[in-house]
Amino acid sequence: MSEPFEPKIVAFVCTYCTYAGADLAGTSRMKYAPNVRIVRLPCTGRISPMFILKALQKGADGVLVSGCHPGDCHFAQGNYHARRRWTVFRALLSFTGIPEERIKFSWISAAEGAKFAELINGITDEIRALGPFEQYQELQKVIETQSTY
Amino acid sequence: MTRILLNSRLDDCLSAWRSAGYRVIAPSRSNNLTSFDEVASAADMALDLVLPERTIKDHFFPQTEPLVRYEIKKQQIDTEEMLPPDDKRVFFGVRPCDAAGLDIDDPLFGWDYKDQYWFKRRENSVIVTIACTKADPFCMCTSVNLGPDNPKGSDIMLHPLKDGRGWQMVTLTDRGKALLETVVPMLQEDAAETASLANVPVKFDVEKAMTWLADPANFESHFWKEISQRCIGCGSCTFLCPTCHCFDIQDEGDTYSGIRRKNWDSCSFAMFTMHTSGHNPRNTQSMRWRQRIMHKFNYYRGKFGVNSCSGCGRCTRQCPVDMGITETLQEITNTAK
Amino acid sequence: MGIQEQYRNEAAELLSSGAVKLVIGYGGGSTPDRRRPVFVRSAEEVSRLVLDSYCVANLSAYLISEGLLSDGKNVAVFLKPDGIRSVNILSAEAQVNPDQVVILGFNIEGEQTTPLPGRKAADYAPLMESLRSSGLSPELQREADRLEQMSAVERFDYWKEQFAKCIKCYACRQVCPMCYCRRCIVDVNQPQWINTSSHTLGNFEWNIVRAFHLAGRCVACGGCDRACPVNIPLRLINHRMSKETLDIFGHFPGESADQKPVLATFRQDDPETFIL
Repeated sequence: MSEPFEPKIVAFVCTYCTYAGADLAGTSRMKYAPNVRIVRLPCTGRISPMFILKALQKGADGVLVSGCHPGDCHFAQGNYHARRRWTVFRALLSFTGIPEERIKFSWISAAEGAKFAELINGITDEIRALGPFEQYQELQKVIETQSTY
Repeated sequence: MTRILLNSRLDDCLSAWRSAGYRVIAPSRSNNLTSFDEVASAADMALDLVLPERTIKDHFFPQTEPLVRYEIKKQQIDTEEMLPPDDKRVFFGVRPCDAAGLDIDDPLFGWDYKDQYWFKRRENSVIVTIACTKADPFCMCTSVNLGPDNPKGSDIMLHPLKDGRGWQMVTLTDRGKALLETVVPMLQEDAAETASLANVPVKFDVEKAMTWLADPANFESHFWKEISQRCIGCGSCTFLCPTCHCFDIQDEGDTYSGIRRKNWDSCSFAMFTMHTSGHNPRNTQSMRWRQRIMHKFNYYRGKFGVNSCSGCGRCTRQCPVDMGITETLQEITNTAK
Repeated sequence: MGIQEQYRNEAAELLSSGAVKLVIGYGGGSTPDRRRPVFVRSAEEVSRLVLDSYCVANLSAYLISEGLLSDGKNVAVFLKPDGIRSVNILSAEAQVNPDQVVILGFNIEGEQTTPLPGRKAADYAPLMESLRSSGLSPELQREADRLEQMSAVERFDYWKEQFAKCIKCYACRQVCPMCYCRRCIVDVNQPQWINTSSHTLGNFEWNIVRAFHLAGRCVACGGCDRACPVNIPLRLINHRMSKETLDIFGHFPGESADQKPVLATFRQDDPETFIL
């Protein structure tokens, strides 16, 4: 019997809200899927679309971007700017055939440890059901083989 | 009496070549682009083209290719060479300018170190060229002392028959002869008239231009600024050139393992000569365009005795701002004393 | 008097009066249907200028040539409405001083070339309003609709095939008036975000990033699409981005010189239907 597929998910989170929320989930001893690798950043405004592309390049099956609720940004406006950027970037990814279901966005505050755990479990299940992002990973595999010319 | 290959027997030849272990690569159209691709049958070939948009160079010096796989370990570094495949290949329907491009680049890839990635492919390939019976306004092979039936770089030359039934076949090399052996039953011994060759007007006096270029006084001429003013600094002329051969070596991977690759690079790019210090010895587009022309019509000849241009005209044909070698050498010819 | 004659006279006047130091226009090309950018510095040379329905290139890209406007002198440039929008964006993004740009505006409809009155970008404000509704050509619209109806898997395969052709000559970037970065992100190597190799993955990344950087800035002049030597339908991807910023944020790029760049601003009530 083959092993069930376990997706690799990369989460880019802001340190002031979502990271603190994740921390709360941990200190509250809530269990959530171990499929997520968290990358902590100062603010969602710091999360460049490049990060998402890099995660996919390195074999992620899903990406989560998460930060403070609107109005709660430590830097007052970072998440508003990020929201616009994601709106456009998400449309672009979708237009080039990178499924929207694999790139998730959320607001999670420092108090929402339970929401974080639930969200991670939910996303992990969803992406597990989608299976590995083979179409994209195939591009990387091709690079690693001998030239066909 | 000469050997004739009829259009109707081309598919039989393809089958014969395939059973002899050759892959057949020919001009074709796909995805709104004309290029050299592996074809299944004669119907997939686009032999009506003056020239495909992309060159045959792609199959000898690909835009990106892996050279070596590496892994850095505690005490050692493991490497594994990634040589190109061993497949034998027939290139059918090449134009004389593209074929000449290969010949022009041979000395570059072999003058001190014999580049296996180039020569392995060269040795495994047979170039079957079709002489040109038509040209477009950008063709300029005759201006660089080549022509619509020039044999440079070809193993077999096909001359289209006047009645359009096929081609007269002339073998030029041993590799060509060996390929012909595999299809002898499909050929006819016949006397037939060949179609007249394309009339490609001479557009500039290359000898005169070379003399002008060789004069150090012209290196700093204002001419270079004038002629390259509209150049936007993209690499389309170099990447679509059958003789441009500059490349960059890039390591792709993470800290401890990856693949070293050879990627096309272009003297048109500002980054091409950028130093780590931030100093750029060719910091204006006019210097870069001058470099391209000088390299093709002066430096390359100095080193290898041949100009690095086969007259395909793609540089002008595909230029977003309608520049190219033709205009520059025409201007030089017109102004040179 | 035809439009070409009229504009030649005007260019001569601008140059001889010293109002501008340079006129950037179109000249004859290497075939009868080609036009090439020309740079005219004196009234005697204006006969080199050509203006007809083949003059489609957006010449505003030359305004950002290094050092061109740094002496404070004015430059005149032949521009279609898309080029005028580019000047507005470049002004809004502090890349050119609109006061230094004299616009010789014209429009092409079919075979007809008509003058557009006005000399400064601001004079064209009423025109901008009327452009808002312009869309893709019927064929491109059909292709765009076809793409929208595809599944994600099919769309990915479509773009994979298109981007596989890319040779990273960067003609799309070099021809674009909006690509003025001193060092393009693809040339940044510490860290190397994008694979510089032109294998399909590297090409995919490059084209996504290029399109993203043009979101809400592209004026649909089609320069990248025409420049692409391997015929990738870049217009489709740019159009999709423009549609997004127009539909969601009501942003029509290049409307005016004081328009805020769409991704450098926000509203508290921006829609966020997709955020969990």
